[in-house]
Amino acid sequence: MGRMKFLCDVERCIDCNGCVVACKEGHHIPVGVNRRRVISINQGEMGEKSISVACMHCSDAPCIAVCPVDAIYQRDDGIVLVSKKTCIGCGYCFMACPFGAPQFPSGQVFGARGAMDKCTFCAGGPEETHSKEEKKLYGQNRIAEGKVPLCAAMCATKALMAGDADVVADVYRERVFTRGSGANAWGWDRAYKKK
Amino acid sequence: MKRILIPATIAVTGMLAAVVYAGTDPALVTSIDAGPSTAAYLQFNEIFTGDWQQYGKLFTSLQANLFSRIFLLVVTLVPVIFFFHYLAIGPKKFDHSGPQIYYFNLFARIIHWLAAISFSLLVITGLLVILGKMLGGGAVIRNGRSVHILSAIIFTISAIPMFLMWLKDMLPALCDIKWLFIIGGYLSKKKTPVPAAKFNAGQKMWFWLATLGGFVMAYTGYFLWSFQGSVDNLRLMVIIHNFLGAALTALFLVHLYMSLFAIAGSLGSMISGYKPQDEIDILHSRYKY
Repeated sequence: MGRMKFLCDVERCIDCNGCVVACKEGHHIPVGVNRRRVISINQGEMGEKSISVACMHCSDAPCIAVCPVDAIYQRDDGIVLVSKKTCIGCGYCFMACPFGAPQFPSGQVFGARGAMDKCTFCAGGPEETHSKEEKKLYGQNRIAEGKVPLCAAMCATKALMAGDADVVADVYRERVFTRGSGANAWGWDRAYKKK
Repeated sequence: MKRILIPATIAVTGMLAAVVYAGTDPALVTSIDAGPSTAAYLQFNEIFTGDWQQYGKLFTSLQANLFSRIFLLVVTLVPVIFFFHYLAIGPKKFDHSGPQIYYFNLFARIIHWLAAISFSLLVITGLLVILGKMLGGGAVIRNGRSVHILSAIIFTISAIPMFLMWLKDMLPALCDIKWLFIIGGYLSKKKTPVPAAKFNAGQKMWFWLATLGGFVMAYTGYFLWSFQGSVDNLRLMVIIHNFLGAALTALFLVHLYMSLFAIAGSLGSMISGYKPQDEIDILHSRYKY
């Protein structure tokens, strides 16, 4: 089985937030919870770059290591999922995550946090696949349908890629190659082009 | 002809100057190319994972390996030690039929029990969260968290008058050192007068840890509930909360053992307010009644 990964190409991302809207709308995510977000640097200047980030579905994920109730688990294909019925909303995963992926809905008893919500790689949750309960708690399960996650599917410039790590890496490698580095280094085309 | 030539010459010279200037001014040239992606990655790293190395890594390894083990050790080892203490030395028994001394007034008892009940709930629900793995998580632990928050509010409110009403009696005294050297006489069966006034050194340690430590727990706990401030600050708060919580749990168990088992019938003094004179003469020999 392949290893699922996200890759956001900063040379292509144009900060349109299409991925954020697609994710929020497609999964009916409550207000205040953002599974995916776009961050920009050098805004309004030359060299402005943007990147779209959700859960990275890390190998050796720190959120899994710190969860006091073992609510978070990793599938064989690398997708990290949370069981909202087991989660107690303590927020430790949020503190362990370097990417700020875990989100918490508010409005519970004594203002305490509800169960953690994060990017599922559009793979639902531990409940029965395509069941009403899974859809209500975790949103769509597109992976089970053989589809790419909503955000990547929606990306206009195809900056955001999701899928098997080897394939994603190959696509990215080819892009970098074409853009001009490595063998396509600056000046080579002009200086060494064969007639 | 001249009318066209002169402006044209000026225009061409201007354009040439612009080209030459552009060639020499590095700012104009470099601004077109923003540098490699790796430079941008460094800036993104700063935004996302920048401060993670400081307390993020520490918190992750502590929470993954240490915290639950410390608490498990405390709740198993301390009772086991006391179990053997009870077998080897046994409870201290005092004559309850003799004269009784009024030791705790009504206000002190009400405050004590408010703090005691809320603190017990805090310990129990705190342990539920820390050792949640063994209990499977879910609704029980989630409700435990709600109880934790509610009892934290009650405890903090009751800890303020408790701190003020016992502050004077709890100030360290010279005889506390002597008390510590003999560990309050709890390691022998003999009933010899122990150097202590209204409260002994053990009670004082418990008092200071429970009140001042309790306020630190309330302060750090507030952040863990509200999630305000930077993430790195939260990590520091949770580290303090858990280490201090382990120490408080340990001393809580000590206090429980002392009041319920180690000194027979001492629980009654916090209910009725009266202590037998026999007990005071031995355990609080410097108390003036």
